[in-house]
Amino acid sequence: MSKITLPAYANVYISEGKKPFPWFGMDIGGTLVKLVYFEPKDITAEEEQEEVENLKSIRRYLTSNTAYGKTGVRDVHLELRNLTICGRTGNLHFIRFPTVAMHRFIQMGRDKHFSSLHTTLCATGGGAYKFENDFRTMADLELLKLDELDCLIQGLLYIDSVGFNGHPECYYFENPSDTQNCIKRPCCLDNLFPMLLVNIGSGVSILAVNEKDSYKRVTGTSLGGGTFLGLCCLLTGCETFEEALEMASKGDSTNVDKLVKDIYGGDYQRFGLQGSAVASSFGHMMSKEKRDSISKEDLARATLVTITNNIGSIARMCAVNEPGDQAALYRAFRVYRIPSEQKLPTISREYMKIERVVFVGNFLRINTVSTKLLAYAMDFWSKGQLKALFLEHEGYFGAVGAFLELLKSAKVRRGGVKPDSLSMQAFLLCQAMYHVTSPKSCLAFEYF
Amino acid sequence: MELNGFYCDGEGCAEEQEEEPTALKLLRSKTETSCSIIATPGADSAAAGGSVLQEQRMSKSTPAMLRLDSLKKNRPPFPWFGMDIGGTLVKLVYFEPKDITAEEEQEEVESLKSIRRYLTSHTAYGKTGIRDVHLELSDLTLWGRKGNLHFIRFPTHELPAFLQMGRDKHFSSLHTTLCATGGGAFKYEDDFLTMANLKLLKLDELDCLIKGVLYIDSVVSSGPPECYYFEHPTDPERCEQKAYNLENPYPLLLVNIGSGVSILAVYSKDNYKRVTGTSLGGGTFLGLCCLLTGCSTFEEALAMATEGESTRVDKLVKDIYGGDYERFGLPGWAVASSFGNMMCKEKRDSVSKEDLARATLVTITNNIGSITRMCALNEPLYGAALWNLDQAALYRAMIDQNIERVVFVGNFLRVNTLSMKLLAYALDYWSKGQLKALFLRHEGYFGAVGALLELQNPC
Repeated sequence: MSKITLPAYANVYISEGKKPFPWFGMDIGGTLVKLVYFEPKDITAEEEQEEVENLKSIRRYLTSNTAYGKTGVRDVHLELRNLTICGRTGNLHFIRFPTVAMHRFIQMGRDKHFSSLHTTLCATGGGAYKFENDFRTMADLELLKLDELDCLIQGLLYIDSVGFNGHPECYYFENPSDTQNCIKRPCCLDNLFPMLLVNIGSGVSILAVNEKDSYKRVTGTSLGGGTFLGLCCLLTGCETFEEALEMASKGDSTNVDKLVKDIYGGDYQRFGLQGSAVASSFGHMMSKEKRDSISKEDLARATLVTITNNIGSIARMCAVNEPGDQAALYRAFRVYRIPSEQKLPTISREYMKIERVVFVGNFLRINTVSTKLLAYAMDFWSKGQLKALFLEHEGYFGAVGAFLELLKSAKVRRGGVKPDSLSMQAFLLCQAMYHVTSPKSCLAFEYF
Repeated sequence: MELNGFYCDGEGCAEEQEEEPTALKLLRSKTETSCSIIATPGADSAAAGGSVLQEQRMSKSTPAMLRLDSLKKNRPPFPWFGMDIGGTLVKLVYFEPKDITAEEEQEEVESLKSIRRYLTSHTAYGKTGIRDVHLELSDLTLWGRKGNLHFIRFPTHELPAFLQMGRDKHFSSLHTTLCATGGGAFKYEDDFLTMANLKLLKLDELDCLIKGVLYIDSVVSSGPPECYYFEHPTDPERCEQKAYNLENPYPLLLVNIGSGVSILAVYSKDNYKRVTGTSLGGGTFLGLCCLLTGCSTFEEALAMATEGESTRVDKLVKDIYGGDYERFGLPGWAVASSFGNMMCKEKRDSVSKEDLARATLVTITNNIGSITRMCALNEPLYGAALWNLDQAALYRAMIDQNIERVVFVGNFLRVNTLSMKLLAYALDYWSKGQLKALFLRHEGYFGAVGALLELQNPC
């Protein structure tokens, strides 16, 4: 093992082509921090001998607990076992804790002398920017900041490719409109593209993904998981996501919402609006008698239904749902802003037609009410043209994407994206070691 | 029915379809017309003396003396009402004739006189009825009569009291048909019949909305302009309300914000499509405010919202990123998660009722703005026509022509400058100046006006 002491600006540790442990990926979101940790299971006796004490202690701490402090949780059911990546075999663990506990986490990193092991930590999400200085000053850790949507897509593709311990990662609901016969079915994500990817975290981002490396953030909405939880806490006095969902599963939103039939006495046939459709969310709540007659559970349910349906409605508008016609081309052009140099005739209609809408994000964690509602809404409002798909690892894809970035060789990404700091660090290393002057000549080298 | 996704005027009698455009055109020119204005069959025979027409009329219903007279003059009998029974409010427009001759006054039935007096000498009715005097249109000429158009509203839950009043005033003896639109026209049809012996002529709310908008915009020629927009909406020093000329309005996006929201793409007078809607509307704002702040009326909710600060309640992009999310052009002050701070107990304890009201208003308004923007930027113009263009022309059409005007109506915007300015700003900002938000003074009354206009086409 050769160690090279580098100038301060090339903040990278090299170990003869091997990536040093520990291997983490972090996604610091608005509400939750998602962490993936790779636990090597193929450690040789020799390696164990050399292993530094704090690395060992980190591994032991993470893998022998399923709860950390008061709020940290390891989702054991999501663990990917016997994964082989970059020549090592081990288990991939999925851990989450609230973002408000971030400083405690950084403290822990300092106490465990994390900085002596690994001066770079791959992190994505808004918090990677917000807490960058805290990591540096409190724990002497340098964050490698990555874009959350890039990581989301890379993470999703990776997990789908390796599968979930032999089972499919992706699923959908058959008969979503039939509450009795609605069943969860596994689904294969071949012919993935083009797809609409809806990430429901504290807020919502909607991406149109055309190719592995080609996507656009179509739009977003601020009415997301954070809204659901925030409103529920205010309206029902609950404190956690789990409590809110528990209440929602027992309530009846039709006592709270004003339906089409409450206004029309039946269907609004002219525009195909069934009597059971919601005309005005929370519309009954302007009446004192109605306010006095509903329960907290009804309010929680109405909040869930309102937020979920709003997301479904916006997602549907984004998906191209008129197959094979000019209007679809038009929409694709306007919404996705394909560069004008691209000749229209080369864009085939099939290419533009989106049939799959993939929903991810921790709003859907243990939230079957919302997943089924989204499945139903997509199917119903698109008259069967759109299918809602879901993924088992829900909110962890950003963290997985960050984890993958750690293991990649330094490359400039295609698609006109600025070179990330990883390649910049690599270039600086080149400069230091080989007196190279241009970034291009570095591309041939592999550093890790 | 929607054909190819686009609505063509296909409902109602065939005669109506032919006659209607002519009638509207004549209305616009605001001249006293001869018998040719009739929209009912037998126009020629009426000019000749009307006996054939009378016979046809009699075969349809049992007319009162006054009705026969009016028909001779080929206009509907008084009183002239249009009603829009919505999810939260009933909107009523009433035409008060000011050119009643001595003879006519003599013949006038007592109940008709009393209705006119009751409506025009009050500005409040019962506990909850209100006449919006500032919206009154004076010296209007409608179907050859000169008079004032009044705008009245009351909560939908007071409809039984209204029906009672109609019965006590023997309304049914005057006018067996009442033009009504909105969901309530369907829901309360039987109640009108059983409680007040009134037969409703039910009309579609979106048809009426569009007709009403076009009509009012065409007749408002003096006083404050009907259509306006905001310049510098978020700058309190420079923010100005400016008049906008809605001539050649097409294509436009019409967003009706009532209890719920409907978004229509209007390509021409008779060609429009309901693009989408959202259930997060005015009813959501009021319902949530009542729950979160304990208020009971729309006015109270708005007053609170004016005092509050929503950034304490919402989680902004900068709360998550520490600044802008530059990659995708999201400024730090943009809301990332509405009510997102409220999952934290300390923050919940530190916000006021006013902050919550403000956050509710901002959330609902921004959601509508966001959905509207997506529709405006996605909607192809001249729908079917585009499909016949070759690729190059299509390409050009896509870039050059798109919906630029979005007109917001509906009573959610009544006395709600906060939402109007928010919509104006949001639309302008997120569309990079491509979209302009327009507003109309008569906000929520267009459905009722459209219903009134249908009086000349009784079926």
